Amino acid sequence: MIEIRQVQKTYPPVNGASEPVVALESVDVTIQPGEFVTVVGPSGCGKTTLLNMVAGFEHPTQGSILLDGQEVRQPGPERAVVFQQPSLLPWLTIEDNVAFGITIGHGKSQLDRGRLEGLMQTMGLSEFSRHYPYQLSGGMQQRCAIARAVITDPAILLMDEPFGALDAQTRSDMQRFLLALWTDLHHTVLFITHDVEEAILLADRVLVMTPRPGHIAKELKINLARPRYWDMVMAPEFTEYKRKILAVLRPESSARPASG
Amino acid sequence: MGYPLEKASAMGSERSVESQSTADASKISYHRHMPWLVVSALIGCWWVVSALHIFTPLALPSPVHVVRDGYVIATTGYNGYSLLDNIGASVLRIAVGFFAAIIVGVPVGLLMASSKLVFNAIDPLLQFFRPIPPLAYIPVMIIWFGAGQMSKFILIFICTIPIIIINAMSGAKNVQETRIRVAQVFGADRHQLLRYVILPSALPEIFTGMRVGIGVAWTCLVAAEMIAAQTGLGAMILTAGNELRTGVVFVGIILIGIIGYLMELTIRTVERRLIPWKGKA
Ligand SMILES: Nc1ncnc2c1ncn2[C@@H]1O[C@H](COP(=O)(O)OP(=O)(O)O)[C@@H](O)[C@H]1O
Ligand SMILES: [Mg+2]
Repeated sequence: MIEIRQVQKTYPPVNGASEPVVALESVDVTIQPGEFVTVVGPSGCGKTTLLNMVAGFEHPTQGSILLDGQEVRQPGPERAVVFQQPSLLPWLTIEDNVAFGITIGHGKSQLDRGRLEGLMQTMGLSEFSRHYPYQLSGGMQQRCAIARAVITDPAILLMDEPFGALDAQTRSDMQRFLLALWTDLHHTVLFITHDVEEAILLADRVLVMTPRPGHIAKELKINLARPRYWDMVMAPEFTEYKRKILAVLRPESSARPASG
Repeated sequence: MGYPLEKASAMGSERSVESQSTADASKISYHRHMPWLVVSALIGCWWVVSALHIFTPLALPSPVHVVRDGYVIATTGYNGYSLLDNIGASVLRIAVGFFAAIIVGVPVGLLMASSKLVFNAIDPLLQFFRPIPPLAYIPVMIIWFGAGQMSKFILIFICTIPIIIINAMSGAKNVQETRIRVAQVFGADRHQLLRYVILPSALPEIFTGMRVGIGVAWTCLVAAEMIAAQTGLGAMILTAGNELRTGVVFVGIILIGIIGYLMELTIRTVERRLIPWKGKA
C-alpha cells in the first residue's frame, strides 16, 4: 500500500526569482495493492514530481510517503520505474537491457534464462534480443523498458507518461499490452499521462491534477468492466467520465453557452 | 498512416529500422577518393612552385628531392640511426606516455566527476599544470630524470593527462540522469554505477579526449626530442635542420604527419567497434 500523506514539494527559486516554486501542495492519496491508478493533468502540474517522490528520487518538503507503513527514503527494486523516454543503455543488447536489474541486483549468473526468454516472447522482443536499442523503433524500445522494469517482479510499477512519445497506433497497442501484463501480474500501478482517454481506459481510479500549485483536484473511480477494449471510449459511461474530468481540467470550455 | 493494422500481432511485427539505402553508394565511393585527390593536388602545387624556382631548393626542396632523401635515409639511415630506429623510438615514447595517461587519467576523471572531495583535491593541480607549455618542463625533466627515455615518457604523460582527465570527467558529468536512476532503482551501489552506467556513458567523450591527446602527444614529443635525444623523428629533424638538409626535415615532418594520422585512424576504428551507438543515443 502506498500512502501519500499531506505532501508538499517546493523547489528553490529558479533564475533569481524571489519566490520558491511550489510544485505540489497538500497531496493526500492512498493506493491499494494491485490497484491501477492514473494521474492526469496538464504539463507542469507536478505529475513527475509526485512520481519521483514515490520512486524515492526526490523527497517531500513536507508530509510523508509511506510504503507498507515504511517511509520512502530512496529508490528500490520493489518500485520499478518506466520513464517517458525508454532510457535504455545503448551499449547493451536488448536482452542485456531487459536483464539489467538482475545483473545489478543479483549478478548475471543468477539470471533465469527461461524466464528472460519467456518475457522477451511476451513482449514481442525475441527476434531482437541481440539488437541494440538504436536499431529498434520507439515502441519496441519502450516495451524493452517495460520488460526491464518487470523482470525483477516489482510490487509497484511507476510509469511517467510512458507512451507520450509514441504514435497513436503504437500507443494503443502498448495500452492493450500493458493491461494484459497487469491482468497477469497484478502489481500496483501508478501511471501518469496527459491524455484523458488513456487515463480512463487504463484505470481503476483517476486522479485529476491541476497546476499553480499542483494538487489533486478530483478523484474518480472508473467502474468500466475489465478487460477493457479500445471501443469503450465510445460508450456513454466513458464519455461521462471524460466530461467530468475535462470539466476540472478546462472549466471555461464546459461553461460555454448551450446554443454554441 | 503507413502503419500495419494487424491486431494483437502488431506487437511483434514492427521491423527494425536500420537499412542503408544503396542509392547513394556511388556518392560514397566518390567521397572515398577525396583524400587522395586533395593530397595529389597539394603535391602537384608543391611541385609546380618548386619547379618555378621562386625559392631556393634549400628553402623548398622539390617533391622528387624529398622522395630521394626519404629513400636514402630509409635504406642507409641518417646520422648513425636507421629510419626504423627513429620511428620506433618516437612511437615507443608516445605509446608509453600516452597509455599511462589514459590508464591513470580515465579513473581520475571519473572519480572527480563522482566525488566533490576528489574534485576539490585534484582540480587546482590540474588547472595549474594545464597551461604550462611542454617546453617549460624540459630542463626540470632532464635534471630529475636524466636525458634518457624516462624524461620523455613523463613529459608526454604530463602533457596529455589533463586532456584525458577533463574529457573523462565531462563525460561522466553529462550522464543522463535517468540512466543513473534506472540503476538506482535496481539498488546499484557506487561501484556498480561507475562500472555499468557512468564509464560506458563517458566512453564517447573519453575517445574524443584520446583523439585530441594523441595530437598533443606528438607536439610535446618532438619538442622533447629536439632538446635531449639522439634518436626519434624530432631529433632527426633538428639534426637535419642544423646541417641544412631540408629534404630530410621534410621527410621527418611528413612521417610524423602520416604516423599521427594512422594513430587517429586506429583510435577511430577502436571507437567504432567499442561504441557503435555513438551519436545515436
Ligand atoms: N528541479 C526543479 N527545480 C525547480 N522547479 C522544478 C524542478 N522540477 C520541476 N519543477 C517545477 O515544478 C513544477 C512541476 O513539474 P513536473 O512535476 O515536472 O510537472 P509535470 O510532470 O506535470 O509536467 C513545474 O512548474 C516545474 O517547473
Ligand atoms: Mg512530467
